[in-house]
Amino acid sequence: MKKDLNINVHHLTRVEGHGNIVVNMKEGRLEKARLEIVEAPRYFEAMLKGRSFHEAAIITSRICGICSLGHQITSLKATEAALGLDISKQTLLLRKLLIDGATMQSNVLHAYFLAAPDLLGAGSVFPLIKTHKEVVVRALRMKKLANDIGDIVSGRAVHPITPVPGGFTKIPSEKELIEFKRRLEEEAIPDVLETVDTIKTLASEIPPFTRETEYISLRNENEYAFYGGDICSSDTGCVPDTEYLSMTNEFVVKHSSSKHAKHNRSSFMVGALARWNNNYDKLDPKLKQIGLDLGLTTPCYNPYMNTVAQVVEVGHCVFEAIAIIDELLSDGLKDEKPNQTPTRFGTGIGSTEVPRGILYHEYTYDNQGRIVKANCIIPTGQNLENIDDDMVKLVPEIITKSKEEITLHLEMLVRAYDPCISCSVHMVDVEFIE
Amino acid sequence: MESKVKIISVGNPLYGDDGIGKAVLDELMQSNSIPSANYYDAATDALSILDEFEMDSLNIIVDAAKMGKAPGTVVHFKSKQAKTIIQWDHLSLHGFGLAETFALAKQLDKLPEKVVVVGVEPESIGISEGISETVIKTIPEIKKNIKLEVESYEYTKNNINH
Repeated sequence: MKKDLNINVHHLTRVEGHGNIVVNMKEGRLEKARLEIVEAPRYFEAMLKGRSFHEAAIITSRICGICSLGHQITSLKATEAALGLDISKQTLLLRKLLIDGATMQSNVLHAYFLAAPDLLGAGSVFPLIKTHKEVVVRALRMKKLANDIGDIVSGRAVHPITPVPGGFTKIPSEKELIEFKRRLEEEAIPDVLETVDTIKTLASEIPPFTRETEYISLRNENEYAFYGGDICSSDTGCVPDTEYLSMTNEFVVKHSSSKHAKHNRSSFMVGALARWNNNYDKLDPKLKQIGLDLGLTTPCYNPYMNTVAQVVEVGHCVFEAIAIIDELLSDGLKDEKPNQTPTRFGTGIGSTEVPRGILYHEYTYDNQGRIVKANCIIPTGQNLENIDDDMVKLVPEIITKSKEEITLHLEMLVRAYDPCISCSVHMVDVEFIE
Repeated sequence: MESKVKIISVGNPLYGDDGIGKAVLDELMQSNSIPSANYYDAATDALSILDEFEMDSLNIIVDAAKMGKAPGTVVHFKSKQAKTIIQWDHLSLHGFGLAETFALAKQLDKLPEKVVVVGVEPESIGISEGISETVIKTIPEIKKNIKLEVESYEYTKNNINH
């Protein structure tokens, strides 16, 4: 069957930033199927140049609203690696607690507000308030709890204050941690279980598309890696994060103002599904079962299932946060001063699994402790080529569907990656009633 | 205990004039010119305002707003005077900005009766630290107007109660 098809979704909704989906098929031959990124480049690296090591994390935490904690932690790690600053076990645990909170918040928002409306046939979350109010309220409750982790541990949930190079300027009290553990056990666990039930009812709506690709994530033999580990490819194995450039291989394409990336194949995937595929063995048995019950396989080649993997990770973050609080309380909280005495000035790399995949920061400092060179590689950029490759396989497979259905499938595909195309400019358009 | 007036800023100081909300909030806090107020900087997480609204009090939100007016124009508007367009694709926190937050709050019965948005027409929004001269000049006027809003609210409240 020969078919002509032209799709141009200008400014795809429910993703962060501006992206267009463009598909062009002529007489049954696919000429174009891709996500075009039309935003102006941001040049955050230039803003870091000349900054002191005290400032880098503050600036980078404002790169993005929802990823602020991920940028901050990764920035701190890069600075500490460059300046030879060791951190204490307590600092490490508190940072992991922060990452659990930030991951919970981001994954909950994406699953409920950005992805679920598609599965329920709604254009946005707003119609769901009428039909599924308790689900929306649950999502907001989970987001609030995740935000509160940030408030308690880092002074504030967005753009944290207390984490600094070498440690924390202020730590939570024992009482705050005990109370938070109670909320995790009594509020978060039931909400996670109900979330799983909700997603289970929607699972049949997830498109059955598959495309095996290369999956890249951090991996740590001691845990399901978020805070750190080696960079591992499902194709080629693991390398230390100091070799990140050999794994990212950024390149420029004409249709995107964001760089693309590739490694062993034409593209690779990062994010929750890549973590599930590479680190399944490190999950709690209960969460493994939840993932399998929700339709994830080991490995799973369906990119739409990224959202389901995010839900499993919400459960992981709740369990891990409880375990971390137990460990902090059992060790006893210590009033520690941040270690801010550099033992060297050079280059350092920080890598963290943030909700959308591996985030890399690399800084080079001069002997005054000022940044002379910076490089940040964000997860969405790493996924862009993979999204394009998915589209090229997907379109011919669903070509018998209507143009509207094909468009929806493509929009859902891009949303499944939870892309963060732009950073945070809060503007409100106001139309006055005359 | 009686609810305090809430003054909230939204925006990202790394994006030029988008930082106007925080700049105003910082000055109000430093000068302590409105002792009866509580402050909250929502930064780029407008959705978090849902949990910060004072249902029984006055809520004032300061944000850069594209109103099609001259840069530096300051407009106070209430939800009944203006409709904020639900436009997902340029708003922060992955689709949730002030407009969506209002819409959600309204449908969930979490929108206080008294909300005033202080919108400031920006001159430049883009990666840059610091607010443009045109918008900086509006800060004294915004502070003065917020103070008047609070005084007017408290006067009315006290005269109704007593």
